[in-house]
Amino acid sequence: MRELLAKLTGTYGPSGNEEEISKVIEDEIRDYVDEIKTDVMGNLIAFKKGNGQGKRVMLSAHMDQIGLMVTHIDDNGFLRFSNVGGISVLNTINSKVIFKNGTIGNVSYESEIDNIKDIKLNRMYIDIGAKSSEEASNKVSIGDVAVYYSPLSDSNGRYIGGAMDDRAGCALLIQTIKELEDCKNDVYFVFSVQEEVGLRGAKTSAYSINPDVGIAVDVTSTGDTPKARTMAVKLGAGPAIKVKDGSVICHPKVKGLMIDRAEELGIPYQLEVLEWGGTDAGAIHLTREGVPSGAVSVPCRYIHSANEMVDGADLENGVKLLVAILEQEIEL
Amino acid sequence: MESKDFLARLIDIPGVSGYEMEVAHEVSNVFKEYCDDVRIDDFYNVYGRKTGGDLEDRPKIMLAAHIDEIGLMVKDIDEKGFIKFTTIGGVDQRILLSQEVIVYGKEPLFGVIGAKPPHLQQPGERGQSVKIEDMTIDLGLSAEEVKELVKVGDIITFKSPLVSMKNGFVNGKSIDDRAGVAVMLEAMKELNRLHFNADVYFVATVQEEVGVRGGTISTYSVNPDIGIAIDVTHGDTPDSSKEDTHAMNKGPSIAIGPNLHPKLTKRLMDIAKEYGLEYQIEVAPGPTGTDARVMQIVREGIPTVLVEIPLRYMHTTVETLNMDNVKKAGRIIALFIASMEEGWQKWLSY
Repeated sequence: MRELLAKLTGTYGPSGNEEEISKVIEDEIRDYVDEIKTDVMGNLIAFKKGNGQGKRVMLSAHMDQIGLMVTHIDDNGFLRFSNVGGISVLNTINSKVIFKNGTIGNVSYESEIDNIKDIKLNRMYIDIGAKSSEEASNKVSIGDVAVYYSPLSDSNGRYIGGAMDDRAGCALLIQTIKELEDCKNDVYFVFSVQEEVGLRGAKTSAYSINPDVGIAVDVTSTGDTPKARTMAVKLGAGPAIKVKDGSVICHPKVKGLMIDRAEELGIPYQLEVLEWGGTDAGAIHLTREGVPSGAVSVPCRYIHSANEMVDGADLENGVKLLVAILEQEIEL
Repeated sequence: MESKDFLARLIDIPGVSGYEMEVAHEVSNVFKEYCDDVRIDDFYNVYGRKTGGDLEDRPKIMLAAHIDEIGLMVKDIDEKGFIKFTTIGGVDQRILLSQEVIVYGKEPLFGVIGAKPPHLQQPGERGQSVKIEDMTIDLGLSAEEVKELVKVGDIITFKSPLVSMKNGFVNGKSIDDRAGVAVMLEAMKELNRLHFNADVYFVATVQEEVGVRGGTISTYSVNPDIGIAIDVTHGDTPDSSKEDTHAMNKGPSIAIGPNLHPKLTKRLMDIAKEYGLEYQIEVAPGPTGTDARVMQIVREGIPTVLVEIPLRYMHTTVETLNMDNVKKAGRIIALFIASMEEGWQKWLSY
């Protein structure tokens, strides 16, 4: 799982630019699924056939990541940028970023600003070490997107790196595909695009698949760091079964099914009430006449920073939980 | 059934957004008495169908009023058994202190949101509103008992049954928008007395308070020719401006604005005038905060109108409304439906 996670988090793929990460995932799973395709939005959709008696289940983990899009190159070769998804000022000051072609830069802010609260994204810039506008333009064009450059590190069984949101979820889905053998349900594994800019890939893929049940696999926040906002989710205490977030109130029966499976098999789990944010289930459940949906979340600290932290055991248990949910008949 | 009795019954049943199963079943039981058939979907939207007339291409009309209510949800339980909570829908934190609540754990549990007594407050504290993060629910149980009976994600409702006031006024929680469901009941009763040519779907929708979600999927499901959303709007109070509010005794409000179909809205007003039924006008310059918001843009677009009942103290436990407006709204809507005749499509054009 560590190697897989390192590979996934080390691959470039901001929203709208998911080709490379899609290719990496496709290579990982091609031999384990019955069908695989990429739709016009760029969603990678893998299908594992059931025995014909089960439900149509759609799982979705988004493969896009947040990024910084170049809007202007100044005379001295500094790059101004806009955000693709939820880039926060605080998390980005002096973060290393990387472009698709491997160009690396540091993100800083206009040094005349005294109060950190006055820093806004439009007063920040990317420094790629270029000496002139021309030198910068040879490496980077307006519209190019950079992502946090942060190769995976290990610490006490925990992994720290960029893009855990949601490559950790992608890793869970890939591992589930590999471990799921006899399955009653027809399962569609969607590696969705453009989640970070409004759950857009999940919206169209759910319409296309028209599933009976939807399950998003994403990261969630925790409440276990110093003076954190109250939240009953801890790193390392098991995958989280989502109750609600800003985009979805999970269907009570889907939530109940997940809890039942976890308890039957003694898989540790936590219940997640996230007071903000959203995930692919938000788009899936409002598709057509409605799709009962839920979500399995990987607890993650420092979300939307260059150094997101997840726990190795949560990943292993997350896979166990997903396999347990999928292999049996789903009665709602 | 009297709409006031219906409303009283509904208000006693929990139906926080996402957890409307119980209230849906109650609505379904009552709708069955007045509709040709009733179904409940996977999300607990309730659809009562009433068909009238023999016109071959009669219109399919969908009414929508939401059955969900704002409420709270268990977020964590502290080491002493006090419950930390979050809000579902637009709850005003200023009204939370010293409310009575019911926590739906393994069994319904009575609790209170405690407030620090004036004696124990530090200087200056009294003038400040307490943040929701600092509030807890006290069930009067030990931490072990609470943890046995309650888990993260359990829903919580306010305890505030319907109270009758003078002159047809009532108050209680979740009148937003169960009064709208009562309007649908009134419209059903009225249609029983009228000749009409339409397939009418009375839809009690879910999850309106968290983003008009039930309206989205139920409208897709019904795919009507005409949509009629029914919700509440702000009644006049001393502390709010006249432009933003509506009189409590001058009939329901009919909304105008880009969210609503102009020709159908005009027709609705004309019908009300024709029958001498009072109505007010709600100006809605943008997408409304009602099911109409999504009904209008489902599939190929649904021409939608919006009827609203003035309600004071919205999103509190003492929402106050005049039942007379519920009856009038039901009547206007039923007469509007009954006015559909051959060539009704002409009302949908621009």
